[in-house]
Amino acid sequence: MNVRGYERGFNVALVTLDGVGKTYRGRTGAWEAVRDFTLDLAEGEFFCLLGTSGCGKTTVLNMVAGFEQPTAGRILLDGRPVDRPGADRGVVFQGHDSLYDWLTALDNIGFGLRLRGMGRGERRAKAEHYLKMVGLTGQGAKHPSELSGGMKQRIQIARALANDPRILLMDEPFGALDAMTRAVLQGELSRIWAETRKTVLFITHDIEEACALATRVGVMKRGPGGTLKAVIPVDLPFPRERTSDAFMSVFRDVHALIHDEIHGAH
Amino acid sequence: MRSTVRTERLVTVAGYLAGFGLLFLIWHLAATTLVRSTLFPPPGPVLERAWVLIEDGILQEQVIASLKRIGQGFLLGSAIGIPVGLAIGSFKPVRWMLEPWTEFFRFIPAVAMITVAVIWFGIGEESKVFLIAYTTVFVVIISTAAGVGAVGRDKIRAAQCLGATRLQVFRLVALPATVPYILTGMRLAMSNAFVTIVAAELVASNDGLGKMLWDARLFMQIEDIFVALVALGMLGFATDRTFRFLIRAFAGRFNATV
Repeated sequence: MNVRGYERGFNVALVTLDGVGKTYRGRTGAWEAVRDFTLDLAEGEFFCLLGTSGCGKTTVLNMVAGFEQPTAGRILLDGRPVDRPGADRGVVFQGHDSLYDWLTALDNIGFGLRLRGMGRGERRAKAEHYLKMVGLTGQGAKHPSELSGGMKQRIQIARALANDPRILLMDEPFGALDAMTRAVLQGELSRIWAETRKTVLFITHDIEEACALATRVGVMKRGPGGTLKAVIPVDLPFPRERTSDAFMSVFRDVHALIHDEIHGAH
Repeated sequence: MRSTVRTERLVTVAGYLAGFGLLFLIWHLAATTLVRSTLFPPPGPVLERAWVLIEDGILQEQVIASLKRIGQGFLLGSAIGIPVGLAIGSFKPVRWMLEPWTEFFRFIPAVAMITVAVIWFGIGEESKVFLIAYTTVFVVIISTAAGVGAVGRDKIRAAQCLGATRLQVFRLVALPATVPYILTGMRLAMSNAFVTIVAAELVASNDGLGKMLWDARLFMQIEDIFVALVALGMLGFATDRTFRFLIRAFAGRFNATV
């Protein structure tokens, strides 16, 4: 396959998941978490992967991140197979334990730049830029223990963006926040995405969140052997008006798709 | 903000003083009303005796002798324990090989090693330093290794997807995340060191607080015994507070409980 030529094409697939499967083998037998998962992520899109708990959506993200290896199929980034974590895929974790307690907010954001050997001054300036982007100007000297849950997630987003990855992988990043903070952060994330046009793979179990953020929503079938059930384009302008009829209509479509999965899960 | 911190500190200090005051009061009442024996002197004569010993420079001599041994052995034990603990926590083969050692030796208390230490090193400084190092090293190894094992998975993953090499993950994530565990291990080891030094000096020494206790018993200088006991308590308390202060200063921002 002429990968280079393909990349120059119009609808560039940044990430390709091709028949990806993941089976865990343990003492209690085998567990098929993901089965035959196929998806192309285009450069610049915001893709929400929606599914009930235990459907394997986080496993999909972990495999794209390179934290886990598929047991079937393959994953390509820019045409190259993914086999380990790398700086080209920034991850925002659900829990904020991933922040470094011993570093200030600003040093957390500049961590990836430090790994690359960027000088202190340049690193600081860049970290300040992303601190401002996530709306935390003036909070850079604080440590994670002094920040609220929402602020910590903002720092995580800034840290991932400062490293300028090819794609941002977000694993239910607002799942542990209260509803108000979550709504605010969803709005902020939409704004940041519009500013940076970074490709995003966003995992969630929240239908409204998916409809509010995504340019496409992928609905997953319930596990074991979780796989992609349908992909729905969300062709609504940003910022999205959640009480509008158009939004409601998308919401209903997605809800109808996931309804069986929710009820099957009980 | 700053003034509330200061007030909090003042309250803490006041609490400590009140606590010690109460302890001395109970001691005084117990000695003067309950026991009334020359074998249990009240705090007054003991403090008087302490003052005499301080004026003669005797008490300081003993305290410094003991503290020097503790300091040397403690530093030696930590200097060995930290890297070994890091290696055990980081590399499986090292763990398989060295864990039997730590699990074996930590059940042989330093007090039981006194005889061997004296046979090997005599009753000079070396035997004491060896015993303190011995009692320090395993506690530090175990808590350091536990600290490495407790580094959050997401912390390591985050570094990996920010482009960290294995060495960078160790140096910039695993190591700083382990610091509170190392310091906590050292704090525990320090209290072990106090137990060990007294036992070692009781058995074989020419000076130090343990030797002071022993001599006082031989010559029935009951006040001297109590002076040594109070000095030990005070030293231990001061050392532990210092350690806690250091842990807070270096690791207060960590989420580990200190």
